Amino acid sequence: MDPSTPFAHASEAEMARILDFYAVRWEYEPHVFPILWNLDGDVVESFSPDFYLPDLDLYLEMTTLRQKLVRKKNRKLRRLRENYPDINIKLFYARDFRALMLKYGKLALIDGLSGSSGQVTISRAEDGTPADLPAAGLAAVAPLLAVPPSSPADVAALATPTRAARRRHTRSARLAERPVARR
Amino acid sequence: MSLPGTDLHADVGQILLSEERIAAKVAELGRAISADYAGRRLTLVSVLKGSLPFMADLMRSIDLPLRIDLMEVSSYGGTATESSGLVRILKDLSATIEQEHVLIVEDIIDTGLTLNYLVRYLRGKNPASLHICTLLDKPARRLVEIPVDYIGFTIPDQFVVGYGLDYGEIYRNLRYVGVLKPEVYGAGAEVEPDLEAAIEG
Repeated sequence: MDPSTPFAHASEAEMARILDFYAVRWEYEPHVFPILWNLDGDVVESFSPDFYLPDLDLYLEMTTLRQKLVRKKNRKLRRLRENYPDINIKLFYARDFRALMLKYGKLALIDGLSGSSGQVTISRAEDGTPADLPAAGLAAVAPLLAVPPSSPADVAALATPTRAARRRHTRSARLAERPVARR
Repeated sequence: MSLPGTDLHADVGQILLSEERIAAKVAELGRAISADYAGRRLTLVSVLKGSLPFMADLMRSIDLPLRIDLMEVSSYGGTATESSGLVRILKDLSATIEQEHVLIVEDIIDTGLTLNYLVRYLRGKNPASLHICTLLDKPARRLVEIPVDYIGFTIPDQFVVGYGLDYGEIYRNLRYVGVLKPEVYGAGAEVEPDLEAAIEG
C-alpha cells in the first residue's frame, strides 16, 4: 500500500491493507461520476467511489456511518446506478466492516475506526458532510473536498456512462466552472 | 455466566443447521458430485482448518476413486504482525494436480477474498478442471464474485460457528452450525428475527 494514499477514513486504509493482503489490485477514488445536473447542464453533484478493483471491474464504496444515517449515500448510489447502469459497485456498510473485522479477529479496532472517530482528514458529520464547521465554514472548506470540473480526461475515466449521461457530462465539461463536492 | 468458550453450547444463541440437516445435505452433495464426475478421477482440495469436518464427511459421500489434499493459507489479521503483509501458503499441496480434476472444498464463502486467491493459485498449476464446493454460502458479505458449483446452504448474514467454523479457534468441534451470541465477541445484538426462514438449501 502506498503510504501517501490520502484515505479519508481509517476504515478505508484498513480495507486497502486487506485487499493488498489478498493480492487484489485497487485504485483509490480514481473516477468521479457526475450524478446530478442543473437545468443548464452543470454538474451539481458527483460521486467518487472509494475503491476501484480493476481485476474485478468493481467499485467499492465504504461507509462506516450508522445504518440509519446512510440514506444520503444510498441516494447517491441509486443515482449512480441510474446514470451508469453498466458499472458494478458495492456499498460496504458499517455492519459489513464490523463483520469483516470480527472475521479477522480485529473487533477491537472497530471503535477506533468507525464513524467520525475514524476520520483521518477533515471530519465529516454522520450524513457525510463535513462536520465541525458552520455553514459559512463549509464554503471555505469546499475546495478541499472538491474535484476539478469535468475534463476530457475525466470523461475518459468514466466507466461507460449511458448515452444521456455522456451527453450531460460532455455538456457539463463545457459549462461547469464550479468545483463539485464529491460526497 | 461462564467465560466464553468454556461452555460451547451456552455460547450459541441459535442452532442454524442441525447435525441431521447437515448430514442430509452432505449426502446430497456427494451424490451430485459422484454423478457429475462419473468416469473421472477427482482430487478434493480442502482448505484448513474450517473445512476439515465437511471434507471428512463429503469424501465418504462420494462414490468415486478420489484423492484428497490439504492446503492452508494465512488469514488477514492472523497475527498482529501479519496485517500489513501478504497472504501466504502455510501448507501447499502434497502432490501435483496437473491435468487432474480438482474440486475445492470450502466450509464457508463470505467475502470470497481467500477463495479468489486460492483459485488463481491453483489455476496456475494447470488442473484439467477446477470447481468449487462449499457447505455454506454467505452472499451478503461477498466482495469477489466467484462461480460456486456446489452450495450446501445459503445462510443469512450472521456470525456462525461449529462444524469446523471457529471463533478464536474455538467451537470447531460442534456437530451443528450455530449463531454465536453477540455478547461472546463483545458486540451488541443484531439478530435477524427469523434466521430459519433465511436459510436456503
